[in-house]
Amino acid sequence: MNITLIKTIPNILKFPAANSARLLHLTAVSNKNQAGRYKNTPRKNFPLTYEMANPPHQIAHRKSWNSWNTSNVEGGNRPSETAVEDQFIRKFVQGTWHALFVSEIIIKRQHNLIRIAGLVHRGVMPRKMYFLIGYTEEFLSFWLQCPIKMELQSVADKRHVVFKYV
Amino acid sequence: MMNLSRNIERVPFRSIEKQLVASYCNSSPQTQTKQEEFRALNIRNVKDPFQTRRRLQKTAVFPPRADQMPVDQDWGSVWPGPRSFHPATVPLPVRQGFTEKGAPPPNKFNNAELMKIPNFLHLTPPVIKRQCEALKKFCTPWPKALDNEDKIQKNFPIEVISSDYCYSSPTIRDPMARIITVKFKLASLKLDDRARDKFLRLVGPRYNEENDTVTIVTDRCPLKKQNYDYAMYLVTALFHESKKVEPWEEMKSEADMEIYCWENNASKKNIEALFGCKSEEIPNAAEYSEAVSHYMNEGENDYTISKYGEAVKKLLKLQGTN
Repeated sequence: MNITLIKTIPNILKFPAANSARLLHLTAVSNKNQAGRYKNTPRKNFPLTYEMANPPHQIAHRKSWNSWNTSNVEGGNRPSETAVEDQFIRKFVQGTWHALFVSEIIIKRQHNLIRIAGLVHRGVMPRKMYFLIGYTEEFLSFWLQCPIKMELQSVADKRHVVFKYV
Repeated sequence: MMNLSRNIERVPFRSIEKQLVASYCNSSPQTQTKQEEFRALNIRNVKDPFQTRRRLQKTAVFPPRADQMPVDQDWGSVWPGPRSFHPATVPLPVRQGFTEKGAPPPNKFNNAELMKIPNFLHLTPPVIKRQCEALKKFCTPWPKALDNEDKIQKNFPIEVISSDYCYSSPTIRDPMARIITVKFKLASLKLDDRARDKFLRLVGPRYNEENDTVTIVTDRCPLKKQNYDYAMYLVTALFHESKKVEPWEEMKSEADMEIYCWENNASKKNIEALFGCKSEEIPNAAEYSEAVSHYMNEGENDYTISKYGEAVKKLLKLQGTN
């Protein structure tokens, strides 16, 4: 490259040293909290459960946690393992009890015992439900190597868990 | 079917089989003829007879068990262990949840919030009482002779503190559980002055002067047992090491003393020479020795100087003469 080449560059393409900020378009900062919040629908017919109706900042005020363990308290051990296991339990139960859980899956841990609680829609025969309970408990206790207990409450109609419509 | 069932009621058991076989024989030729017929080609796309979808058989749901509970039932056997809340079993009209505009909080049915919170329904006072009664036979009474803190301190001078940690996770191991703290009063070792001085030099900041307590914390070994053994070894080693007198310790001269001790000093010899007898026999010598050691140890200030002056006056019987 030589100096003659630089001279041929038009004025517009030259790097403006002083006014570089003028070229960058900026908008106002949008740090709006959106997670766990539901917008109103035009017909106001979107059902929310109590859990969904309260945004995350209401945890410990209006609603409580879905995972109960001592891993995340000060000085708790194996927090990452617990989080991954909880997520695995949630995925497995959601898939096994397909479209039957009408609440969040509550996972409570006491020592090495894991209690899985929640509201279940009476969509299948009781016999099948008992099978699913045994199946879930058996498989999860085999994978996680600790006793699992399913403590469910059955709901006659999905509308019974609706807290409000948005 | 109606006929068949009637027959079953009437005829003895053996004839049931005949009846059943007969009914099968009667019905089978008809179904065969239906299948053998040609299927009509449906050109105009006339709808088939409406096929009903198999509907879910609704099983009867029993009313909540809580409605049928007698008032004087044994709650401990209804709810024997820790468990998530279940509205049909708990006969309490509990509600939980936040509602706006003064509406009542959501009731106990279909309420996930109640299932989240830990409950103590398995630990009602009568149940705790019952469990304590059951555990009593495994307990031994507290020794009667150890009725106050001083006796406990005297007979069990050493205090070992360790912690166990409970977690809601499958592991029962915690690295913090290895730490052992051993506490004891220095007076309980019954050391003489020289050994005590050496002991304090060895333990350093582990000695608390306010309550005369030595605290040894061991955490260098991976297990609690190992740390306990190490702590006990330390106590033993400290005790024997402080009792031992090394040859170089005998070489400690008056200039090396960290505090002034009247007994070892020229002041005592001078007095004895002055009075011509032993210091114990001289009246007011104890007060004088105390004043001198105070003066030497605490330094020169108004109080120590005046004390020293008074003691000298008393010793030399100069009272009243100014």
